[in-house]
Amino acid sequence: MPVLLQLFIKECKQTARSLIYWAIVLILIFDFTSQLGDMEIDRKPEPGQAEYGMKQCDDPEIIMRSALGQLTEEYYRESYTTYPIGFYKNVTLNEKDDQKIGEILREAAGIASREEAGKVMEEWYSASNTASADRFAAEGITDIEYIADTADITDTENMVNIEDFSGGEGPIYQESLKVEPVKGLTYERFAELMDQVDKILGGGSHYNKEYREHDAEIPMTYEDALEEYNTLIEKDRLTGGYARLFSDYMVIFLGILPVFLSVTRGLRDRRASMQELIYTRRCSSFTIIASRYLAMIVMLTLPVLIISINPLSQCISYAQTAGIKADPFAFVKYIIGWQLPTIMIVTAVGMFLTELTDTAVAVLVQGAWWFITVFAGIGSLDGGAYGWTLVPRHNTEMNWQGFHDGFAQLAANRAVYAGAALLLMAFTAWIYSEKRKGRLQIRGKILANRKNKS
Amino acid sequence: MERYWQIEKINLKYHIPVHVLVCVLMLLVSPLLMGVANLEAQDTAKVLEMYVALIGIVLLPPVFLPEQDHDIRDLIGTKYMNSSVVYLMRILGNVLLLALLLGLYIGILAHNRCEFPAGKYFFGTISEMLFMGGMGMFFYGLCDNLVIGYMAPIVYYITAMGSKDQYLKMFYPFSMTGGSYSEKIWMAAGAVILVSAGVWLRCRRRRCLNG
Repeated sequence: MPVLLQLFIKECKQTARSLIYWAIVLILIFDFTSQLGDMEIDRKPEPGQAEYGMKQCDDPEIIMRSALGQLTEEYYRESYTTYPIGFYKNVTLNEKDDQKIGEILREAAGIASREEAGKVMEEWYSASNTASADRFAAEGITDIEYIADTADITDTENMVNIEDFSGGEGPIYQESLKVEPVKGLTYERFAELMDQVDKILGGGSHYNKEYREHDAEIPMTYEDALEEYNTLIEKDRLTGGYARLFSDYMVIFLGILPVFLSVTRGLRDRRASMQELIYTRRCSSFTIIASRYLAMIVMLTLPVLIISINPLSQCISYAQTAGIKADPFAFVKYIIGWQLPTIMIVTAVGMFLTELTDTAVAVLVQGAWWFITVFAGIGSLDGGAYGWTLVPRHNTEMNWQGFHDGFAQLAANRAVYAGAALLLMAFTAWIYSEKRKGRLQIRGKILANRKNKS
Repeated sequence: MERYWQIEKINLKYHIPVHVLVCVLMLLVSPLLMGVANLEAQDTAKVLEMYVALIGIVLLPPVFLPEQDHDIRDLIGTKYMNSSVVYLMRILGNVLLLALLLGLYIGILAHNRCEFPAGKYFFGTISEMLFMGGMGMFFYGLCDNLVIGYMAPIVYYITAMGSKDQYLKMFYPFSMTGGSYSEKIWMAAGAVILVSAGVWLRCRRRRCLNG
């Protein structure tokens, strides 16, 4: 048996005996059960349903109405939400800038004062509440909470509580405020004005080109919902959509958990005072590091594959009854294509930094990277905008079109992370090799220097 | 008293400078990441609970780190002064540092015209810091593994982000953002228990679990 394979099996056994590995497995199971444990397969939409959800729209009229509605609300509240580098940031303007926004709102929507903005909101939500209450009353539901549904559904923290305007009993999701532009306002002039607003707010606001187009949502009709369902069934064969949703939830934890395993493994030899003994073995540094790395990757991917059997079986069971030809390998494909590169890079970062420093600093580094990545991805939960994030999000079984359009970017993203992981693994092997030769003992040298000086 | 001060001096000089530096850096970069001026109470709570409180995870779990090596721990065990006293002195020093950093940060928020009840938010945030840090200490003490000490509070934090208060109930860390404060009392009590249990486990441990 080749040495690499022998060491690989040995490392897998060691990992299986590790407490931290089983903690990670338990956390992954918890992640799955808490987020997707009660997963229900989407049923075919029926005509006459109360609602079918929302969809994005590229109609300039809708974009203008959505953006002006958002601006009216934020102007009234004197508080603007921005995401300058992905993080939520609340902006309150000084008097001069506030005045400029007021002038822009007047030119674009004909709203001349803050009081008028409040009045527009009150009228919209009162009418909307009445319509909702009538609809729910017809269904026999009376205990309703009232919350306005902002254009950005993911930004739940910023949902406007409209009890003050509606006199409602609590929160309910409602269509966000839409405000008509003034007559004669061209889309070009509107875009200029919104760019100005974005500039005043410091960038990353709901009014830049990307956000205002993303924010423009309209309620779906039965035909729209049916078309989306048919896409899920025909293009995604049901399993594809749910495999993406599964990947979305799992990759959040996989963006950090592997680092704990790799750091623990990296420090284990030193803790057990076995480092020098292993250094003297005839086996090459690359073989030792590669076997460790491969073992961790396989052992971390294994529980994800096993957990995926649950949603896969649900999909297949539903597909059989509904006469859909499901893809039994969809989850495996998505785990390898979507989740594995994240496992690879996070494990590699842990191994590299631990080998380099002989400390647990990789936990802090990976923690910071994870934190920034996850918060930066809050604006693109619906999928399609994958960018270069470590944790690609697609928090819906639908939106096949978004996935399809963003596939090239996603593939490039995953390939870069997988490549970077292999590169880091090679660097780790090099550092390990240097250490075996008595070089790059960073920790030892610092301590030795300190000792010498004292 | 002199001996206690000596413990803290060694702690500050050799054991935690890097951790303090990380905490200071985290706080210094925060204006680049999120708004720290003109915030309403709810948004101020979000900054404190979701970001600033994380420094508790950085600063508290490593109090056991200097004795990570079993031989050093055995040697320390032969000394006249009880290990638990050494740990408690380090914890006290680190908690004071946390309070100092948080106090300064809250002062800056107030200076930047954020509107919030400073005293209430200070104690709310410090109890979250101690709870998360205490959780790290507890698991470090239990498993004799710093990495698990970091992992436990980080997983707790991610759970709170993903599931809100569904599972964490009275230990939900982001309650002030939602306008509730009673969770902070529970967390303060939980922090005392976790820190005490962590120190007890660490001092009691003779043979260690394999990480």
